[in-house]
Amino acid sequence: MNVTLKCFANIRDIVGKKELPVDLIPGATLSDLFGYLQKAYGKNFDRQVTDQLTGELVPFLILINDKAFRSVSDMETPLNDGDIITIMIPFDGG
Amino acid sequence: MYLLKGLCMNGNGFHYKGYIGKILRVNLTSGTLSDVSLTNELAEQYIGGAGMAARILYDELPPGTDPLSAENKVIFLTGPVEGTMIPTSSRIGLYSKSPLTNTFFHSSAGGHFAPELKFSGYDGIIFEGTSEKPVYLFIDDGIAELRDATHLWGMDTYRVQHELFEEIGTEEIQIAAIGPAGEHLVRFACVICGCRALGRGGLGAVMGSKKLKAVAVRGRGQVDVPDMRKMKTFLDELFARFSAHPSTAEILPRYGTPVLVNANNSLGLLGYNNWQDEYYTEAEGLSGETMRKKIVKRDKSCYACPSRCGKFSIVGSGSFEGKRVEGPEYENIYALGSMCGHNDIEVVAAAERLCDDLGVDAIEAGVAVAFAMECYERGLITDKETDGMQLTFGRSDLIVPLITKMATREGYLADVLAEGVKRASETIGQGSDFFAMQNKGLTFPGHSARGMPGFALGYATGPRGGSHHDGRPTGERSGLVKRDTIEGKAEYMARINHLNILTDSMILCHLTEGIWGPLDITDVLVKCINYTTGMDLTLEDLRTTAERIWNLIRSFSVREGYRREHDKLPPRFMEEPIKTGPSKGMVISREMLDYMLDQYYEFRGWDKDTGIPTREKLLELGLEDVADDMEKYR
Repeated sequence: MNVTLKCFANIRDIVGKKELPVDLIPGATLSDLFGYLQKAYGKNFDRQVTDQLTGELVPFLILINDKAFRSVSDMETPLNDGDIITIMIPFDGG
Repeated sequence: MYLLKGLCMNGNGFHYKGYIGKILRVNLTSGTLSDVSLTNELAEQYIGGAGMAARILYDELPPGTDPLSAENKVIFLTGPVEGTMIPTSSRIGLYSKSPLTNTFFHSSAGGHFAPELKFSGYDGIIFEGTSEKPVYLFIDDGIAELRDATHLWGMDTYRVQHELFEEIGTEEIQIAAIGPAGEHLVRFACVICGCRALGRGGLGAVMGSKKLKAVAVRGRGQVDVPDMRKMKTFLDELFARFSAHPSTAEILPRYGTPVLVNANNSLGLLGYNNWQDEYYTEAEGLSGETMRKKIVKRDKSCYACPSRCGKFSIVGSGSFEGKRVEGPEYENIYALGSMCGHNDIEVVAAAERLCDDLGVDAIEAGVAVAFAMECYERGLITDKETDGMQLTFGRSDLIVPLITKMATREGYLADVLAEGVKRASETIGQGSDFFAMQNKGLTFPGHSARGMPGFALGYATGPRGGSHHDGRPTGERSGLVKRDTIEGKAEYMARINHLNILTDSMILCHLTEGIWGPLDITDVLVKCINYTTGMDLTLEDLRTTAERIWNLIRSFSVREGYRREHDKLPPRFMEEPIKTGPSKGMVISREMLDYMLDQYYEFRGWDKDTGIPTREKLLELGLEDVADDMEKYR
């Protein structure tokens, strides 16, 4: 199935485009999408979402079709064909 | 308890490191200068920065003091960490009674002024009285002198700095200066330090009312810590954390705060057209990504900060080609861009530079323009009041001209707006208070109230009103805290208040709150204060200290007449749901706010009807004198 990753900031720099089409197997989850991105873009992508000391994902929201998800259990949310996923860059402050 | 009464001229056994131990008191009326010593008690109970300044001003400013009178005082103050190598230990605080809010107000800025002040031999400077003629203060390695500034009066803030480099004969000085806006007592005039802004609260007007044009400092001193070996180990740990976290290691260095344009807009939380909506389909033109491509030339750091979040930009084309600015920052992109209905980052850059030159708070200026645009579109003001400016949303060409007029109060509308949006809406009337996007006189920055209920509670209850540093948006924006509920928001916001006021007292940068918090005071801050000063504080001690400071500041507001009915949001946020975008339909109703207020007052130990801290709470925090004061207001 095909989903689209909307990219901002450093993730946009890494993937090289504002919107990245991603081909996943039917029933793939958010976790699988992250696995794909980590495999495709390696340490560059990992540094944008993971605390390098703990190895854990830092707090940030993920939107699926403008609906917000993100907790440990949310990562098993199944994706559907045509979904638009946005990773809200982890930014503390304002 | 009047802690500064114990001060003496010759030192009084002050034994904490990190601090210099000395404040300069400047009487601008008589022209006299004197050194006063910190006391151990003041440092232990209020730390420094905002906490210490709140105590001083609570003790020394009678209630009802006119902020623009000689009786008001304005304080430059550091915290114990400034001048060490602790990341973000760069910040100078400016403190006074605000001409916008009539509350205790604190504003802080990065850059290099704070460490230099400490190297020059002082933790801070208290200015009182009013000079007959314009003056500036120069502190040169412990020698302080008031100098004539008549020749500087009227100059913009960058020109002043260049003139002082020439006059003093070196660029190795740090300068804080007001511009024409401060001189014209524009209620949201700011102070520029180098290229950074002590932006909010109108404290530049307080300096202007005292004819204090600038403060210049230079020093060869140093800041000591009790155990350099322990400090170095702690620094290694801190720098490792800074290098490991995506926010401080990747995003801030690359994009700085402007990264929030697309981030907030993606959540449907970007103020657009004076908060008529919170989703702007054309926001990409204002984004950090566009800014990086179009105008950013290099990254800049404050003293001792590895994050390089500052961006130096040059406008490359159009009417403002060649304009240089350190920025623009997210808040100014929101205020001068999406709030005014346009998406031209180059106009925003030029407008931010103008605000710096003139010495105005760019957030207030932008929101004032947006307010005027809505008044004009609704027919509440006409071409007569605007001197022919057709102020509709999207007229990016009118932003620079209108702000220029505001800074010198030129023309009817500019003069009205120079009083701040709250007072402007009172003058214009005709129901304009509905969309005067402010609380307690301070306009809102670029963070949603309707879309983040905990943060809305922070706005409503914050002593500064429309400040995003009394509450913080990070928890709800990052998903650490759910934003689709009002439950639990009282304790959440109270702990954030305490984290903020403590870091504002130490003084550390809120952009790195993921390291210090982000939802509560943590052991990292305990280590930070103990390794810097030699104090032996526990986590509980620090949390109590923060709560003490917060209650003191609340009591300052109570003395100025603030009560529960002032802990509110503008009608737009309470009656108009967000129109479009991912957060469509969200609103903070009166009922929701009342529910959260009840919970917040209960959690804090404040009277539910008035919002006044109870006697029990104040005594618990060691504020006996404040408890006695508050009896008058119950």
